Amino acid sequence: MPVSKEDIDGILKHYPREQRYSLAIMQDLQRRYNYIPREGMEALSEYLGCPLSNLYSMATFYKALSLKPKGRHIIKLCDGTACHIRGAVPLLDGLRRLLEIGEGETTEDGLFSLELVNCLGSCALAPAMVVDEAYYGNMTLEKLPGILEQYRKEASGS
Amino acid sequence: MIIKINGIPCECEKGEFILQIARRNGIDIPTLCHHDAFAGQGSCRLCIVELVAGGRSRIVVSCVYPVDRECEIFTENERVRRQRGMILRLLEARAPESTEIRALCDKYGAPRFERFVRVDGEKCVMCGLCVKACAELSVGAISTVNRGVTKEIATPYHEPSSVCIGCGSCAHVCPTGAIEMSETRDSRRIWGKTFRLVRCSRCGAVIGTEEELAMAAERAGQEQDGLCNTCRQERIAEVFAQSYGV
Repeated sequence: MPVSKEDIDGILKHYPREQRYSLAIMQDLQRRYNYIPREGMEALSEYLGCPLSNLYSMATFYKALSLKPKGRHIIKLCDGTACHIRGAVPLLDGLRRLLEIGEGETTEDGLFSLELVNCLGSCALAPAMVVDEAYYGNMTLEKLPGILEQYRKEASGS
Repeated sequence: MIIKINGIPCECEKGEFILQIARRNGIDIPTLCHHDAFAGQGSCRLCIVELVAGGRSRIVVSCVYPVDRECEIFTENERVRRQRGMILRLLEARAPESTEIRALCDKYGAPRFERFVRVDGEKCVMCGLCVKACAELSVGAISTVNRGVTKEIATPYHEPSSVCIGCGSCAHVCPTGAIEMSETRDSRRIWGKTFRLVRCSRCGAVIGTEEELAMAAERAGQEQDGLCNTCRQERIAEVFAQSYGV
C-alpha cells in the first residue's frame, strides 16, 4: 500500500493531540501499512508536538511494531513452551524451506513475513500458527503447503 | 527527625532521600547515575546502603529511598561492601572501557569475578541520564532504542538528528564518558553532526554552538549579548562601578 500524507493525516486526526495516544496511533499506522513508515513517524511527532526520539524509542521497544516494511500476510509461529514441545521447531524449519526466508524476514514477492513469537495464549491448539488474524491449530508439516497456497491463490486472484 | 548514618546523628525531614541526607552531612556514598539536577534515576544501584529500622534490616537504594521514620543506616559495612562490589563488577563487565567504573572498582575494593562476560568496547551502562538531560535541558534528540540486550542510546533511525543543537548536555552529564564529543578550534562534533562554535566577543572563550545560542535567544525572547559568563559579570560590574562613580 503506497504511503500518502493524506492517508496518514486521516489516521492521525482520529485522535486528540495528546502524547498518551501515541501507541494507539502507531498501532493504527502499523495496521494500515503492516509497518510504520518513516513519514508516519515524522507526521506523528509533529501532530503530537513530541520529539521523534520518544516515538522511535517506543516503536523499537515493542515487537508488535515494525519500522521496516512487512509482507502482506504475517505468519506468526508460536514457540511458547507448549508449542515448542509439540513441534514448533520442525514447523519453523518447514516454513523456512517453503518460504525461503528466515525468522523476521519477508519474502521477495512481499507476500509473507515470518515471525516467531513466544506465546499466543492458545496452548490447547499447540502447535499453533497465526496468519494475520486466522488461527491454525494442531499444525503439522503436511498442512503447511496447503495453507500457504491458499494465500498465494488469493493474492494472484485479486 | 534524627536518623543515624554510620553512627553519626543527622537531622532530616520526613520524605528526604537517604543519599541527600548523607551527602549534606559529608558522608560519601558512591553513585554513577545520580545527578542533583535529574534525580530519581535509581538505575546504577551503586548507592545501596543498609537500613535498620524496627528491628529489621534491609538493603535499599539510597538515591530513591525516602526516609519515613527514625532509623539507622550503614553505608560501608561488610554487607553493603560485598553487594556493592558485585554491582561494580557487573557494571565493569557491561562497560569495560569506562575508566570511571574501573576507578570506582579500585576505590571500593571490588572483588574480581571471572565469570562475567564483558561487552567489548562498551562504556555505557544505560542509566538514561543523557536522555533525561537532553529532554529537560535541550530538545529530546536522543532516546533509548530497542530493548533488552540490544538496547542502546541513539538518535532516531541512527541518523544525525535534525533537532540536536549540539549543546553537549548529554556528554557532560554522562557518568562514564560514553558519549563521544570532539571539538576543533571552531567546530564541535557530536552524534554524527558538526556544529559551528561561537566565541565570546570579548575574550574569545567558547560560549556554545550557533544552534544552542539561537535556542537560548528564542527561549529568553531576546537576542543574547554574545558574552561568556565571566565577561558578562565584568560588564555588569563596570556598569555598577560607573553608576556609583567608583
